[in-house]
Amino acid sequence: MAEHTKIIAVTRFDPERDDAPRSQEYEVPVQEDWKVLEALNYIKDHLDPTLSHRWSCRMAVCGSCGMNVNGEPKLTCREPLSNYGERVEVAPLANFPVVRDLVVELEGFLEKLGALKPWIMLAKQRAPEEGATRQSPAELADFKQFSMCINCMLCYAACPVVANEPDFLGPAALATAHRYNLDSRDEGAAQRAEIMRGEGGVFSCSYANECAEVCPKNVDPAGAIQQAKLANVLSWARSFVVRRRAAS
Amino acid sequence: MAPPRPPDRFPAGPRYRSYLLFGMGSALMLPLGFELLCALWALASGDAAWREFQAGLRHPLRIAGHAVAGVWLTWVALRFFRLFPKTQPFRLGPFRRPPDWLLVGGLYGVFAAASLALGLWLAGRIGGLG
Amino acid sequence: MRGLLLRLEPLIWGLFGGGMFVGALLLPAWCLVAGVLLPLGLLPAAEFPILWEHLYYQLSQPLGRAVAWSAVALPLWAGAHQARHLVTDFGGLRWDGLVGGLCYAAAALGSLLAAFAVLAL
Ligand code: SF4
Ligand code: FES
Repeated sequence: MAEHTKIIAVTRFDPERDDAPRSQEYEVPVQEDWKVLEALNYIKDHLDPTLSHRWSCRMAVCGSCGMNVNGEPKLTCREPLSNYGERVEVAPLANFPVVRDLVVELEGFLEKLGALKPWIMLAKQRAPEEGATRQSPAELADFKQFSMCINCMLCYAACPVVANEPDFLGPAALATAHRYNLDSRDEGAAQRAEIMRGEGGVFSCSYANECAEVCPKNVDPAGAIQQAKLANVLSWARSFVVRRRAAS
Repeated sequence: MAPPRPPDRFPAGPRYRSYLLFGMGSALMLPLGFELLCALWALASGDAAWREFQAGLRHPLRIAGHAVAGVWLTWVALRFFRLFPKTQPFRLGPFRRPPDWLLVGGLYGVFAAASLALGLWLAGRIGGLG
Repeated sequence: MRGLLLRLEPLIWGLFGGGMFVGALLLPAWCLVAGVLLPLGLLPAAEFPILWEHLYYQLSQPLGRAVAWSAVALPLWAGAHQARHLVTDFGGLRWDGLVGGLCYAAAALGSLLAAFAVLAL
């Protein structure tokens, strides 16, 4: 396979030595069919073992290899190097604190996700004798798209609202919450509603649609969030009718 | 840990730029809504007030402003209708959401029809006392 | 203020959504026809100034009044909401309560005045 070199400009940051992230260039002999991740692995294996970056599955499933490539959030295991010119800039995902080099801190996201209770909640626990909960293909289709998220965080790195409003729960977490609200087996929508419409909830989103543009799994969190807003408005309006009826 | 940095391409990247231009264009609806309010107020106040309001529309700066706003908002409308379908639920009772191309096409059609009708009405070609 | 706005958000967003729809449908034609083509005399055989009787007849019908109010009031909310989000986009989150309060107060006042005007038609 043909081989030539590219300059890979990697953002480096060592919390013990650097005040701020800096860029370091590597000349990498790349092969035509390489993904961006393979260039990073080459650097780590052959040029500079101190480079830190995350990856695991190499097949766009685990969601751990997200980085900003030439300023755009990408799954580096899926992003062909041939899409880029002779110099490629690789930086950690924007909008996240940087632990080291290309590794970002995800603790904040995990807290937000957990707060939204992303699991099936039942009003009453079912006994094992009652058997499995059934779901038709049509019911599955109601939320399947929003369940494809791999938590790669590309959407957070692209979102202008995340940048300006640190409390914003963000695209993937809200899309996942909406996914459970739409699940025919779930009865937890009311419990999620409070936080979904609270500070940093769905109404902080201004529909920049960036998350939908960068998501590698076509989850379209922007669509999910607007749908969640609409559902929220409708349940808010309904709450008045119900309260009226209860009062009279 | 190094603090988060904002998205690398904000605000000049092409997609961020259209998002911001969309926001600014739709923010024009605030002054334009007040202009419509003045028009309505003038109409409610009678013929003389209505003529006076329209005299103001002839000012060259207002004409220039309306030309810019008209083109800008046409683009805003097209982006809005293009992004509209996916904001709707996948299913309403037994009905699945129609495919995006159909919804967007329909909305563009409605937009064209509404613009034409409003234009013809303002130009005195339809409506009125018959 | 932010807390109040947050509680009213479903209402505000509903008005905003309606306003985007109505404004997107009507405002381009208003700007281009009433704001450019008619004043410049570019439409053949069209009257300008527009005759008062011509518009008054439709607008004073019940449906006409409803449409007129929506056409004025709803876009105000759309514009106010977008203006507020723009301020946040450019880093003004700490003024969000103030900006939002002012924007929506303007929209609310305009909606009220539009109701008066529509009733006076
Ligand atoms: S919604 Fe898409 S971009 Fe966001 S974390 Fe999930 S898979 Fe990644
Ligand atoms: S390495 Fe698993 S998604 Fe890229």
